[in-house]
Amino acid sequence: MRKLGKNSLLAFGDKYRIYILFALVFAFMSLFAPRFFNVFNITSILKVISMNACVAIGFTVVMICGQLDLSIGTVITFAGVLALGLKPALGYAGSIAVAVVAGGLVGVLNGLLVAKAKINSFIVTLGTMTVLQGAIYQFSGGNSISVSTPDAFVISDFLGKSLLPLLTPRILISLVLVLAMEAYLRRTRSGRNFYLVGGNRNTAWLAGIPTDKYTVAAFVLSGVGAAIGGVLSVLESTAATLKLGENSLMYVISATIIGGTAMSGGKGGVLRSVVAIFTLEMLYTGVILFGLGNEVKIFIAGLILAYVVLYEAYATYKHENDLGRRPELMKELEARRMAKEKA
Amino acid sequence: MEEREIGLALEMKRVSKRFPGTIAVDDVSFEVYAGEVHALVGENGAGKSTLMKMLAGSFDDYTGQICINGKEVKLHSPTQAKKYGIGMIYQELSLARPISIIENLLAGRLPRKGPLLDKARARSQAKGLLAHVGLDLDPELPIEDISQHEAQLVEIAKVLGNGPCILVMDEPTSALSREEVERLFQIIVQLKNRGIAVVYISHHLPEIFRIADRVTVMRDGKKIATKPIGEVTREEIVQMMVGRSVKEFYKRDERKIGETRLKVSGLSRFGFFHDVSFEARRGETLGICGLSGAGRSELAKVLAGLDRADEGRIELDGAEVRSGTMADALSRGIAYLTEDRKHEGLALRLTVGENIMAPIVDRLSSGSVFSKAKGAPLAAELIGELDIYPPDPERTVGNLSGGNQQKVLLAKWLASKPKVLILDEPTRGVDIGAKMTIHSSIEKLAREGCTVLLISSDLPELVGLSDRVMIMRKGHFTREMGFGECSEESLLLAANGALGAEGGA
Amino acid sequence: MADDRSLGSSSVGRLVSAAGVYGIAALFLAVGALLQATGIIRGFLTIQNMLNIVDAAALVGIVAVGMAFVTYSGHFADMSVPTTMGFTGYVCIELLRYGFIPAVIVALAIGLLIGLMNGFVVGKLKANPIIWTLAVNYVTMGVIRLIWVNKQIYPDMRGSGQKAVELFDNIYRLRFFNLIGLPVVMLLVLVVAGQFVMTKTSFGVKLKLTGSSLRAAKFSGISVERVITTAFVLTALTATIAGLAVTSLSRVGAWYNGAGYDFKAVTAIVIGGMTLAGGRGSILGVLGGSLIIGLLNNVLTLLGVGTFSQDMIRGAIFIVVVGINAKSLRSLGRDDA
Repeated sequence: MRKLGKNSLLAFGDKYRIYILFALVFAFMSLFAPRFFNVFNITSILKVISMNACVAIGFTVVMICGQLDLSIGTVITFAGVLALGLKPALGYAGSIAVAVVAGGLVGVLNGLLVAKAKINSFIVTLGTMTVLQGAIYQFSGGNSISVSTPDAFVISDFLGKSLLPLLTPRILISLVLVLAMEAYLRRTRSGRNFYLVGGNRNTAWLAGIPTDKYTVAAFVLSGVGAAIGGVLSVLESTAATLKLGENSLMYVISATIIGGTAMSGGKGGVLRSVVAIFTLEMLYTGVILFGLGNEVKIFIAGLILAYVVLYEAYATYKHENDLGRRPELMKELEARRMAKEKA
Repeated sequence: MEEREIGLALEMKRVSKRFPGTIAVDDVSFEVYAGEVHALVGENGAGKSTLMKMLAGSFDDYTGQICINGKEVKLHSPTQAKKYGIGMIYQELSLARPISIIENLLAGRLPRKGPLLDKARARSQAKGLLAHVGLDLDPELPIEDISQHEAQLVEIAKVLGNGPCILVMDEPTSALSREEVERLFQIIVQLKNRGIAVVYISHHLPEIFRIADRVTVMRDGKKIATKPIGEVTREEIVQMMVGRSVKEFYKRDERKIGETRLKVSGLSRFGFFHDVSFEARRGETLGICGLSGAGRSELAKVLAGLDRADEGRIELDGAEVRSGTMADALSRGIAYLTEDRKHEGLALRLTVGENIMAPIVDRLSSGSVFSKAKGAPLAAELIGELDIYPPDPERTVGNLSGGNQQKVLLAKWLASKPKVLILDEPTRGVDIGAKMTIHSSIEKLAREGCTVLLISSDLPELVGLSDRVMIMRKGHFTREMGFGECSEESLLLAANGALGAEGGA
Repeated sequence: MADDRSLGSSSVGRLVSAAGVYGIAALFLAVGALLQATGIIRGFLTIQNMLNIVDAAALVGIVAVGMAFVTYSGHFADMSVPTTMGFTGYVCIELLRYGFIPAVIVALAIGLLIGLMNGFVVGKLKANPIIWTLAVNYVTMGVIRLIWVNKQIYPDMRGSGQKAVELFDNIYRLRFFNLIGLPVVMLLVLVVAGQFVMTKTSFGVKLKLTGSSLRAAKFSGISVERVITTAFVLTALTATIAGLAVTSLSRVGAWYNGAGYDFKAVTAIVIGGMTLAGGRGSILGVLGGSLIIGLLNNVLTLLGVGTFSQDMIRGAIFIVVVGINAKSLRSLGRDDA
């Protein structure tokens, strides 16, 4: 029986690339970066990534469906601003619900425009991104929103306190969401259907899968995930700045691709994206720990995204180039080379 | 399913399907018995595929009646069609490339245990389905990691896995090797014995005589006849398909073949074709015959500068061509007509005139100012010569019929006045009239001294037009046949590797 | 077999859609006038206000005319425009001490390099244009922050390049006949040149083929990589011109100088009748689109609508126009096959 590729070590390396990368970066930072390997620092890294981890949950599903959601950054901020801004009027229960539902509605809008109006997803979400940007400023009047009522601090303290080493309630919530989504995508029929829709719409359609519904669902997950990420973040910090989600787009796109989710769809996983986020955050923390400034961090983040996009493009280019090569001809070539070496 | 059912499995009564500007299926009645293999033949564009797509639930606006097992049904979506037990094996694969074989085979019906997937059962089901078509692959592999003919078999396994009572196969053997074709025929016989109705669409008439019980011939959207296979001859079928006798189809003129124009030696693109050498002369039409996937189009693309050769040498009129780009090859007079008209051949949203002038934009420009007026007479002349209908250079190409689109594609390359013209399936999917026009245009081109490399799966076309035919098999040139020894049968056998030395390998 | 759908939609339709943009612009003008007549807004129909509209439209228009080439080539938009504008502005101010001409030339050279890079990556390696140019936008932002550490810089009025600084400060404030500003003149020149290049040159024909069907263009022997690269270079160069204008008019080099121009430009382009599918539309339409953006902003501002709400409205208009375009292309059966 033919199994994975001829060079199974290479194939293994490719399949688990992100986990290997994670281990390498972790080992490197632990060994060389000052003040890296301790509970406090790693907890703070986990806290930082818990927002983008929530965002990556839905974003990855959108990419598995073969689409892109550029509006996530603004959804984060929008949800954060709503959750705190509406608190005085609605109380936390109300404001959080509104914020998460708003994220979902943005997803519905994106999804319908992509699935029904058949517009390119990055064009659609570019539009909604602009609309939301305006809405954020309109709602907040251009200022950060913070709450300083006693209940706000209670919630903030609760979300941030250490349950176990490395584990605060907020980290735990994010972790549970990520693992639940991972299990759903891997182990349920409807979870697998997202892959089929992204892998080949026509196949999915012929198999009787409602492709449009799955596309909309993916964008809704993305909107809700981003909103939850934003809400949890502002609840812990008790303040919503208008730059909350500013760098998330760049961050999450990079991480998702590094994690092995293809921009063309049909491949990838949520856990992989989150591990990639962890890896990137270790790198960025390392940059700071090595004494380099925030500017360097932003610069490096940009470079990483550029590199990742290039790599993805190159890999596709190469794959297409190799598509249809006959294995027996390649063997023949190998044989010829061997014969030449002998002579 | 165990007992053999007798009776009509499928009855299509006076069905029609229109597309804007054309009637693809015109008042056709078509019946298939349970346990019958029913061949459906016709020229490309005769309406076979549309008729079958109707059955697969691809259209919600056909007219007429469809009955399955005696009951009238409405087939307006693929899900409905599947529910009534209709299985379709399409010509182009409908598999999701990044997804594993398992999930493709069991798309939409992965086995579950409670709310979760039952992976072990999925795996064993998939292995069972693969074994049925004689494949021994790890079902976890994604489709993109298996070869095209393996994928074709996976596709067949997938459809069989749905347990269809009516199975439609549209050119299922085009990507298969001889052994695999044999295997497929065994499967078809098994299905037949189980009482399944099989509709078999193919251009390979010998296959039809081997496997079919009855044959229906279609032409121009209409049904011409349905006959038991024992009551017709090949010639009669062909005659019904083309509507005239085949003999008069190819009339050869005297050819004047000049000195060597193109010389290719030891040319390889690793993994696609190896060590290809040949010469083609002025005014000569050199046929290249082979199954799809034999490396024919890949060779053409290297000659045209679209891909780079890994080794070897190309000479044009004695001077080496080291072109890395198509623009370069084109300026030296090597042109390539692609087999993929819709995506690579024509910009469907642009006009006939714009498409014809596409390869000669620079030639029609002085400095960098483009002059449409300069190209207009040429375009008009070509539209007239190839009888493109409607004869209007301002017409959007996408709105023309397939045959006229193909003529525009040829016109585009005639406009570039090539020394060597490589034609890749120049008449695929066109009606008989367009085919004749294109053939006479190719002959005229050769008479005028152009070297034509003709890649075609249409064997009569190869036999009729070529002075010599090179056989390509699995990336190698295996054999050459002169005009005298060429026949459809000999070419087919050679392409399948059953005739002559394997050579080279 | 063929039918007559193409006639109505291709020639007449094209004319209508190009004229339509100006019709909409006229409509906006009429609405503005009506609002003024009914006393809802004030100061719309004044020469000064009209000049404001045209000035605002000019900067967006300059960027849009260049970016239209990218859109026309079927590559949607260039999202690296904002930081290209910002970065070249910084560089120019820094280099004014070596004289006006060298500073402008270096700024243009940087724009050229960014365009070449984008063109290579998108054209040759086939990266997704939006994501790639977004990444470039981030990287350039990083470069700006690395070099100037979040600081805005002002032209040095006393240093060695005093003359150059004065020239740079004043040149974009130049008004012909005391009315028409230099950016407007530049826009008009670019529109005429752009329209000529797009419709009359061999590059324009190849660009149309590339935008209509990239693979068919490639298989016609057109070096699509070169065509796409040229489109991105043109975008980067007009972005540089606009960047210098914004920098000169605000007398400050700042990283936010180009903020929002990417989206404004692409909105102007789609309103102007150019479809994101590529190969359709005209530079004249893009000019109309830019005017509409200017008019819209002006009327909304006079109505007392804040900038942020204007962003929202512009985003909504963008989505609606793109949606209508996609729908009408599909109903003609000419969605990308």
